[in-house]
This record gives sequence, structure tokens and C-alpha cells, in this order.
Amino acid sequence: MILAVLFANAEGNILIKRFHGVPAEERLHWRSFLVKLGADNLKGVKNEELLVACHKSVYIVYTILGDVSIYVVGKDAYDELALSEVIFTITSAVKDVCGKPPTERRFLDKYGRICLCLDEIVWKGYLENTEKDRIKRLIRLKPPTEF
Amino acid sequence: MAQQLVKKDDDRDDEAEYSPFMGIEKGAVLQEARVFNDPQLDARRCSQVITKLLYLLNQGETFTKTEATEVFFAVTKLFQSKDMGLRRMVYLMIKEISPSADEVIIVTSSLMKDMNSKIDMYRANAIRVLCRITDGTLLAQIERYLKQAIVDKNPVVASAALVSGIHLLQTNPEIVKRWSNEVQEAVQSRAALVQFHALGLLHQIRQNDRLAVSKLVTSLTRGTVRSPLAQCLLIRYTSQVIRESGNNTQPGDRPFYDYLESCLRHKSEMVIFEAARAITELNGVTTRELTPAITVLQLFLSSSKPVLRFAAVRTLNKVAMTHPTSVTNCNIDMESLISDQNRSIATLAITTLLKTGNESSVDRLMKQITNFMSDIADEFKIVVVEAIRSLCQKFPLKYRSLMNFLSNILREEGGFEYKKAIVDSIVILIREIPDAKETGLLHLCEFIEDCEFTYLSTQILHFLGIEGPKTSDPSRYIRFVYNRVHLENATVRAGAVSTLAKFGAAVDELKPRVFVLLRRCLFDSDDEVRDRATLYLNTLGGDGSVVETDKAVKDFLFGTFDIPLVNLETSLKNYVPSEEAFDIDSVPKEVKSQPLAEKKAPGKKPTGLGAPPSGPPSTADSYQRVLSSIPEFANFGNLFKSSEPVELTEAETEYAVNVVKHIFDRHVVFQYNCTNTIPEQLLENVIVIVDNSEADEFSEVFSRPLKSLPYDSPGQIFVAFEKPEGVPTLGKFSNVLKFIVREVDPATGEADDDGVEDEYQLEDLDIVSADYTLKVGVSNFRNAWESIGPDYEREDEYGLGPRESLAEAVNTVINLLGLQPCEGTEVVPPNSRSHTCLLSGVFIGNIKVLVRLSFGLDGPKDVAMKLTVRSEDETVSDAIHEIVASG
Repeated sequence: MILAVLFANAEGNILIKRFHGVPAEERLHWRSFLVKLGADNLKGVKNEELLVACHKSVYIVYTILGDVSIYVVGKDAYDELALSEVIFTITSAVKDVCGKPPTERRFLDKYGRICLCLDEIVWKGYLENTEKDRIKRLIRLKPPTEF
Repeated sequence: MAQQLVKKDDDRDDEAEYSPFMGIEKGAVLQEARVFNDPQLDARRCSQVITKLLYLLNQGETFTKTEATEVFFAVTKLFQSKDMGLRRMVYLMIKEISPSADEVIIVTSSLMKDMNSKIDMYRANAIRVLCRITDGTLLAQIERYLKQAIVDKNPVVASAALVSGIHLLQTNPEIVKRWSNEVQEAVQSRAALVQFHALGLLHQIRQNDRLAVSKLVTSLTRGTVRSPLAQCLLIRYTSQVIRESGNNTQPGDRPFYDYLESCLRHKSEMVIFEAARAITELNGVTTRELTPAITVLQLFLSSSKPVLRFAAVRTLNKVAMTHPTSVTNCNIDMESLISDQNRSIATLAITTLLKTGNESSVDRLMKQITNFMSDIADEFKIVVVEAIRSLCQKFPLKYRSLMNFLSNILREEGGFEYKKAIVDSIVILIREIPDAKETGLLHLCEFIEDCEFTYLSTQILHFLGIEGPKTSDPSRYIRFVYNRVHLENATVRAGAVSTLAKFGAAVDELKPRVFVLLRRCLFDSDDEVRDRATLYLNTLGGDGSVVETDKAVKDFLFGTFDIPLVNLETSLKNYVPSEEAFDIDSVPKEVKSQPLAEKKAPGKKPTGLGAPPSGPPSTADSYQRVLSSIPEFANFGNLFKSSEPVELTEAETEYAVNVVKHIFDRHVVFQYNCTNTIPEQLLENVIVIVDNSEADEFSEVFSRPLKSLPYDSPGQIFVAFEKPEGVPTLGKFSNVLKFIVREVDPATGEADDDGVEDEYQLEDLDIVSADYTLKVGVSNFRNAWESIGPDYEREDEYGLGPRESLAEAVNTVINLLGLQPCEGTEVVPPNSRSHTCLLSGVFIGNIKVLVRLSFGLDGPKDVAMKLTVRSEDETVSDAIHEIVASG
């Protein structure tokens, strides 16, 4: 299960959050935990370089893309390697929508489309799509090219 | 050039200053949402408003019920627009709002229409939205379309239906299970993701059907799997099949091993890791099977990607727990990871090295760790401390450097949990390594001089009181203890007073000096401290006479408190103040086992501090009360033990009966709890006829029938037997329920005048050895073992014959004896070939008994066991052997 996908800006403010199977009372805790994790470790990290952490049986893979930091949390089958696949799909899709690693402004400009991409990638805790070209078409309700 | 740079910066500033959502406000956006109602829809504007609504939701803004309903109704109007981009936004928005059950109806018809649309993408999205908002009844209506969609030639439609199936399986399993033929077909799909989703769903549908899973794995491992994700699933399912079938195969011809091994050469790293993990987790994996997996993992230790290094070291860390020697080859690579930027990787590397290192490498490793400790968080430090504790237990000769390390980190800054882990480790080392005792105690003394945690101070003081008097020079600890009386809060002061008294009671030479110190405590500002000082001075002879303290006094003051606190609390709550003083002997000693639900509490809340599940109400007291209310049982004496209820009928039969066995010194009482589950019947004069022909040492002395047993109103029948005193007499009892049945009119509730005699056969009931033992734990088995002494020790060896596993053999013996496992020794590490289990308890007649079981595998499956018993009575030691010999 992919427990959470979070986008935050440089100041640690949340831009997009998606939780699946995490009780409402724990979400705030997760938000602050992830943002602190990013603040402690993401300084000086190259775009899309993946960092990893674990807390008991929960795995966290996170990275930075332009001004935006991205966190993916998972457990069971979604271990650090599966989460790398998820975050790679997300970063590719965001770059595709924004044209390059986005500034915060650019990210917000493309906010609606990024939400749609995320909707295509993660569907209630499960990975649904992995290819950016297909996602690009799906968010415009176009069938995939290989079909 | 310079100008250009300036210009760029300006642009950037403008960008940063302006956000499309600056000053966004819920009320205004809701106003804007009225645009959804326009007869001429502006698709672009509508999309922008939906984006704003999404932004608000993501910022944690909540909509009231009315606001959400209004937005939802307005959004449904957008189905009129043919604009594709807007339609995609509408699907997302409906999912985000999650309309309530009574609102769903508004949008159902539009979605049903889309689900049958010629436009594939409408179909895919409509399926996802419908499955998100639907309930069981609607699902039955659309099931036909979903089944078609699973085998749709458009992979997006098929995936949408399959992933929806995965979610719906949680809420409507009986419907989704009907799709297995279609899902089976989808597993063969050429589209990689469809195959991945179908495989996941098919396995979930069939996970309880071993044969089906085995067939699925067999066919797919031979066929083509199109994506690394699906390949990972297949490896996981393959491991499951191997696990379930692996017990009767010899290592070397393990099914599917070749498949797993071939996956180690896959081009995707994800698959390689999954296969390596599967191999390392095989039951009874041999070194030969492990080697290729370890080699692959070792290569990843020096990968440039942190995720791969992490995955490799995490897997090797696990392997090191069971096969440390197999990981030794990776030690050099692992050592370089101690300085890894990523602290999770560094901690895993260190703890792995601590498990795999040899005695000669300990000092070098400790040096490296010292540098590392200063810059990691407490949670990582705790892991390291625990690993060091295990290392010290493994290499006791290295206690000096390891104890030094622990005492150094004890002086540094740290939170409660971290300090507690260090103190616990030092305490364990003191207990297990006699040479480490004096240095360890002094480290603890120094720590309490400057300890900010009351809990830890009192724990250490208590421990000092036990261990300090046994050292060569007990007086050196007195100063540290007495300092606490001056410098600490009341809780610690009270603890210090008790510790001082323990020194006084145990060491006669110290007595006069201890009395002087205790007398000073009589003027303390706190009641508890003064009370304790007074009690100790009076009982230990603080009036000036220096005499050897009486054993009874020592037991009273400092003896082990062998009553579970929960039971004591319940008994005290039930005690009604009266002339009669509270009798501590009336408190039951039985440890109630944890309810299953608590043990199985899901670990899905990694950080949650949710309230602990509440335990069951203490039944021991209620049994005692019920039994003492029956005059015939009054002279039976103290109740020794009440068993868990044993079911004597199958579930969902006409009459539900279970029995609780109450054990007294010379009697056994069976309490039959009966429930009549037929509304049309009233049972009268209900008795249980007990046949004890296979329990001839028992003789029935009393039976109390039940006058009437109406529908759904449980009642009890009691039958008492006499048996030889204090002897664990065994026997089998067969039971028949006899009664007069009267028909009841369910409408009026009136029963017929005439009744018919009838009887109902119940299951047999056994009195087993475990009925005569009480589970009573000890806090320190070693100390308890030493203090009970070898006078009545009995030792013998037994062959237990072929067993499924070592763990199964250990469990069987524990259950047979009915004693309390101590110090977690009931858990057998996987792949162990030998294991020691420690048990403690009380035998009937209130005789303490301790058992040490050493198991070993003799040949592939045969288990041999050495049983050593110590108790306060030789007949009990013999009885325990008797139980095992005849069990």
C-alpha cells in the first residue's frame, strides 16, 4: 500500500497531499515528520536524487525537483524499490507537465494537471500507471498510443 | 551579458512573488463555482475553478455538508459539456468530494452512461469514479459491465476495472470473487500493466486456495511476465508456494529455486532484490543456496544510488540474524557504509557488522561507532545500543570495552527511551556476566547522580538494592544512595529509603550506619518517605539492637511479589471495607493470557500512539465469588486455578455448552455454562450426567442442576468431584445434558404445560496435567533458579520423535506443562537447530517450580529434549518429569 504522497515547497508548506489508509489523526504527524526529514537531508541534493529512510516497517523515498520536494511513503509490497518506481513516475510526469524541474510558481500554474497526473499514477494506494507519455495522454482523455 | 543576468533575476522575482492562488479564499471560490450552473458553460473557466477547489482541499480546507452538497450538485451539471479536459477534471473532483450515499444517485446515471460510452477513456474513468462512490447494491447492477471491462482490449479500461476490483474486494468480496475467469484471462494480457494488476487481483481472490496459487505460479514461471512489477509479485507468490510446500523436500531439490536464482540475473534491480530476499528468507536455506543472493547484494552495497545501498544493507542485516557467517564476506564493503551520508544506511551497516563481527574486530568497531554516535538521532542510537548488548552477550570477554562504551554514551545528552535502552543493557550485562557486575553498578551509581528521569532513578535504586549487598564491598554504594535522599523528588527519595533498608537487612555490619541514615529520613517532608523509614526501622530492629534480620521479615519486606498487579488491583476494588481485613492470599495468582486480538494488533500505525486495547475483565474474581456463594463448596478451601472455558458443543448448535474446570486441593468443580439458542423452547431441570468411568480416581460428591433455561439467557450447572489431595490426577469425563423441554409460543412467550424429557450428547472433557500448574512469571529467571537451589533438581533426557519444527516442539511442551515462558524464550528463531526455553509457575499445593528445557534437532526432524526441573519439593520435580514422560 502506498500510504502517502506529499509535495511541499522550499519552506515546508504542503502543496499537494494524498493519504491512503492512514488514520486522520496521524496525518498531521506524518506531514511534520516528512517535512522535517526533508529539511534535514535535502539541502544540496541534486534534482531527482532519491533519498531513503525507514521507520519500523514503513519506507519513505523522497527527492527534490526544482523548488518542490516530493515524498512517497509505503509499506509491505511498496518497499523502497517499489516506491522508487512510484516517485520516478511522479517526477517524470511533473517534469513533463512543467517542461523542466519546476519553480514553485510554475508548479502552482500547472496545479490542476499535476493533480490529474497523480490521479493516474496512484489510485487509492495502488500504483496504476508508470509511463509518462501514457499519463500525458490520459489526463487529456486520450487513449494510450500503443493501443 | 550582465544585463541579461539582471533581467533573468527580475523575471524570477516576479515569478516568486506572484502565486496563482495568492489570497485564495473559500467563500469566494464557492461563489465562483456558480459558473458551473451557467447555461453556456465556459470549460476553461470551469476547469480553473475546479483547480482552485482542489487546491483548497489540499490545503486542509474543509467544506461544510451544505457547501459540499452544493459543489457536488454544481459539478454534476458539467457532464453536459463535451470538453474532454473539463470532463477529466469533473471525474477527479467527484472522487475528491466523495459524495454521501444519498447524493450518489444524482450522478449515477451520468456515470453509467459514460461507462457504456464508445469513448474508451470515458469508460475507464467512469469505472474508477463509480467504484469509488458505489455501495453493494449499485455494484450488483454494474457488475456485468465491470466483467466486460476487465477483458476490454483497451488496457486503460482493463486496468481501471482490475484496480477497482482490488479495492472492491475489501468491501464486496463475494461479488469480486465471481470475476475470477475474466481476471484469469487478463493475466495473459499482452499489456504489461494489465498483467500486473490482474495478477495482484487474481492472487487476492485465490489466496486461500493453495492449489490454485501453486498452479498460477507454475504456469507463470514458465510463461512470460511482461513487467518488473508483475515479476516481483510472482516472486512473492512463488516464495509463498515454496513455504507452504517446503516441509517435506530436501534442501537441494527445492521447487522453484532455479526460477528464483534466474531472477537474480534480471535486468531490473527491483526484481533482483525481490529474488535475493526471497532466497534469503527460504525456510532452512543452505549456504549453497544463499551464496548467489549474497554475492548480488554485496555488489549493490557499493552502488551510487542510496536506495539500492539501503535495500542491500537492509536485506543483509536480516540475513545476519540467522546466518551471520554467510554475510562476513561483505564486512569490508559494509564498513565503508558506516560513514554513509544516509544515517539509515549507516545504522543498518553498523548493526549488521555487530552481528557478523568476530571477537578480534570488536575494539576496532567500537572506535568507529563512537565517532558515528554523536551525529545520529536517538531512534538510531537505540538500535545500536541493542546491537551492542547482543554483541556483549555473544563475547562476554569483551565486556570491558563494551561496558565502557555504554557508560560513556550514558553520560551524553539523550532522551528517555535512549537512556532507558542503555540502562537496560547495562542491567542485563550485570546479570549475565558476573565479572561485569561491580563496574556496571558503579556506572549506574554515577548515572543517578545526575539523572533527570525519575523512572530510571527508581529502577536503578531498586536494582542496586538487590545486587549491591552481594558485592565485595557493599558500603561503597551507600553514599550514592543516600545522596538521593537529599537531592531528589519524593518518588526517588522513597526508592532510596527502600534501597538503604535492603542494604541494612542484608549486610549486618552496615546495619548501625544504615539505621542512622534511616532515622534522618523520619523527618522528610513527604509522607511516603517517612512511612517507609518508620516501617523499615521498626521491622529491621532499628531500636538499637543489631541482630540478624529474620527471614520472615526479609520475605515480607523484600520478597518477590508473586501476585499479578492486575489481579491485586481488581481484588482491592472488589473489597468492601468491613471488620474483616483484606486477605492478600485471596488474590488469584493466575496470569491472564493476552486476548488474541491484542497480540495480533495490526502494525499499520507506525507512529500512532492509539489507546491500548482494553483487556478482558478479570474472570478469576467472578469465579471465586460464584463458587463461594454455593455452600457445598465452602469447605473445599482456596481455589487454586480456573481453566479457560472449553467448548463442549460445536458452534451454532441448538444448545451451546462450555465448561470451566475449577481446581481445588482435594476437589475439582466443573462449571457448565449453558445457553439455549432456540426461541421456541424452554428447558427445565437441566442436569449434566457425567460418566467418570475413565477417571476412576475421581468420585462425584455434588451436582447442582439448573431449574430453568429460557431462550438466550445463559445459566450454570455445577458438578463437583473429590480427588486425591495435592496429586495431579488425570482423567476423561463424558457428558450428557438431560432436561425437560417445553414448547414456547414465540408470539406470547408462554410455555406449554406439558414437557418432554430429552437429552443431548456433549463432547468429552479431560483433566490434564496443565490444570494443576499456574502460570506465574519471574522477573529474573537466573536469580530465581539460583535462589531455589539444586536440592530438588531433577534432570532427564527425552526423545520427542519427528516434529514439524523446533518451534512446534517447544510450543507443545509449554502447553503440556501449562507454565509461564520467561524472558521471551518461547520464541524460537527461524532455522535454529537448538533452543533453550525457560518456564516458571506454581504447582498445586502452592509449590514454586522452575523448568529449563533444552531442545536440539537430532537428524532432519527428530527433536531431543533435556528437561531440568527445580522446585521446592522433590515430588513436584518428579511430577513434572512424569507429566512429560506420559505426555
